[in-house]
Amino acid sequence: MRRPLISSSAARLATLYVCSIVVGVGLLLWSVYALTERSIKNEMDLVIEDELDSLWDEYDDGGATRLAEVVNRRKEDWGRTGAIYLLVDGQGNRLAGNLSAWPSASRADGDWLNFFVTAHEGDDVVDHPVRAKVLVLGTHRLLVGSDVSERQPVLPRLRQAALWGTGLTALLTAVIGWYFSRRVGSRVRGVAEACENIISGDLAQRLPRDYSQDEFDQLAVAVNHMLDRIEQQTAAVRTTFDSAAHDLRAPLHRIRTRLESALHADRIEPGARRSINDSVEDVERLQRMLGTLLQIAQTESGHLGGTEESVDLAQLSAEIGDLYAPEARERNLQLTVDAPNEPVIVRGNRQLLAQLLTNLLENAFKYVPAGGRINVKVGTHAGRAALIVRDNGPGIPPASREPVLLPFRRLDRDAGKPGSGLGLSLVAAVTRLHHGTVALEDNHPGLVVRCEFPQPAGATGSKAA
Amino acid sequence: MQILLVDDDTDAAGHIAKGLRDAGYTVEHSADGQQGLELASTTHFDLLILDRMLPHLDGLSIVSQLRQQGVKTPVLILSALGTVDNRIEGLRAGGDDYLVKPFALAELLARIEALARRASGDAQSAGILRLADLELNLLARRATRAGREIELTAKEYQLLEFMMRRVGQVVTRTMLLESVWNLHFDPQTNLIDVHISRLRHAIDRGYDRPLLHTIRGAGYTLALQA
Repeated sequence: MRRPLISSSAARLATLYVCSIVVGVGLLLWSVYALTERSIKNEMDLVIEDELDSLWDEYDDGGATRLAEVVNRRKEDWGRTGAIYLLVDGQGNRLAGNLSAWPSASRADGDWLNFFVTAHEGDDVVDHPVRAKVLVLGTHRLLVGSDVSERQPVLPRLRQAALWGTGLTALLTAVIGWYFSRRVGSRVRGVAEACENIISGDLAQRLPRDYSQDEFDQLAVAVNHMLDRIEQQTAAVRTTFDSAAHDLRAPLHRIRTRLESALHADRIEPGARRSINDSVEDVERLQRMLGTLLQIAQTESGHLGGTEESVDLAQLSAEIGDLYAPEARERNLQLTVDAPNEPVIVRGNRQLLAQLLTNLLENAFKYVPAGGRINVKVGTHAGRAALIVRDNGPGIPPASREPVLLPFRRLDRDAGKPGSGLGLSLVAAVTRLHHGTVALEDNHPGLVVRCEFPQPAGATGSKAA
Repeated sequence: MQILLVDDDTDAAGHIAKGLRDAGYTVEHSADGQQGLELASTTHFDLLILDRMLPHLDGLSIVSQLRQQGVKTPVLILSALGTVDNRIEGLRAGGDDYLVKPFALAELLARIEALARRASGDAQSAGILRLADLELNLLARRATRAGREIELTAKEYQLLEFMMRRVGQVVTRTMLLESVWNLHFDPQTNLIDVHISRLRHAIDRGYDRPLLHTIRGAGYTLALQA
């Protein structure tokens, strides 16, 4: 699966929010700028056009002479600052106006001209930008314009303000977005950590609350309520199991002590003795099943608590392999243990891990026919400790591999063989308790049981499994 | 030897008390936790056998209170709770051994004997353990019989040492699994018999006098005579 660029949904939302606000503010400021620019230009153009109209009227009334008079009067009297006038005849000679000559270098824009006028202000020589409109009256040409240097600085300033505004908005929203996504992220992480601890069996743990009554706080309250219920029920189940253990074991215990007392009687028929011995064996079998069932129940509901220690899987496998080796020879099975010389450390309960391995070996002993091979392999694989038991027995069909990990589930083909259907369930429960995984695979032919456990930080062991 | 048995299951306790008396012990029985604690703190016993679940005061509380009073009498805890955690709780509370119900009387007898010997402090910590012509050099970790070296694997040596320290006592399969292999549960297969027969092969074969004996229905013993 492709990992998204931003994995946190809060960060994604915040990014989206920052982007849309920045685009919105940018658009707003840009349109303000564009409208302002247009209205400033239009306003000036309208003034010039008005003036041209009135001057045209003067021309209509009194011809060029009258126009020249009006222009000369206006350039002095009329209060429009930066007003530019020029009236020329057919030869280009100036008749009136405050411009010395027809502008040579100019940029035309329809009837409009844009050019610069050089003016002397004290000792400085300054170029003033001018926008003007030309009116052709017979052979005469009239130019009316305006110095636009007055309004020119407004637009760059406005543009700068718009850019700064957009930039600051982007920065501010980014900071807010970052803070927001971090806050949401940290609260979600808090919830996730608490959930991890609860999953690993610490049912007393609760989600952190900040009493702000916000959505997260309300969620925490609801989840904590749910956990209270689950904890009560688990405690009830556990108590039930403990008393069931006691109540079932007590009669078994009485049966066994009575049977043993009976065996000590002086006169007892050989047939009766055999029956009593068989009954004692059955009691032992019941006792073992009950023990395994209770161990599964306690393992499933429990957490490692105080029984946790560093267990070296390599050494444990070697020892258990050694314990089973003579029995394997008796059964004409080839049992081998491949464990590295360096320790393969798992944090956990040594007794339960040992029971896991013995259950796997006893399963193999039960199903692998004489002459078969059983191999136990220990190693580390991608930072996880692996314990793998392989055999070349009949294996387990793929469809049955998940079900046989549940209590009392056995393959139909094994219905006639002794066994409780609890061995693999305990294996699954013990791996879960150790935050590990168990997988049943095909050994072509035979069964591979692969148990993997997380390794504590700093645990050594380098050989690949 | 005086034993106090505190167990509220009077029927089973009656059979157990009878079995213990048959084995030569003096047994006093109490069915109540509080009464059991009073008896144990006022009267001298060589061994206490306490059930975990008792009326008024449970077995673990009795042990911790006795230990606080400075009573060092060995305590064997009996329990119908038999998971790994329960066992550790029992030993942490101050119990010396833990036996899950139901158990074989032979198992109980073997453990009582072991606890009694441990309490009387059989000083066998010298460098060499001896039984007839079988010698175990603890420092060199070597075994010889009639002066001839016996080839043993590491586990066989541990097994032999455990039994040599308990000459004449019955050692059960469960005790061997617990002490030599550090496994506190019973595998389904009887694995110990094969290991014992290999050890017997190593120490007894070729000698007139067998030292390692099987006690039917109980376990094994290392002795001059079974």
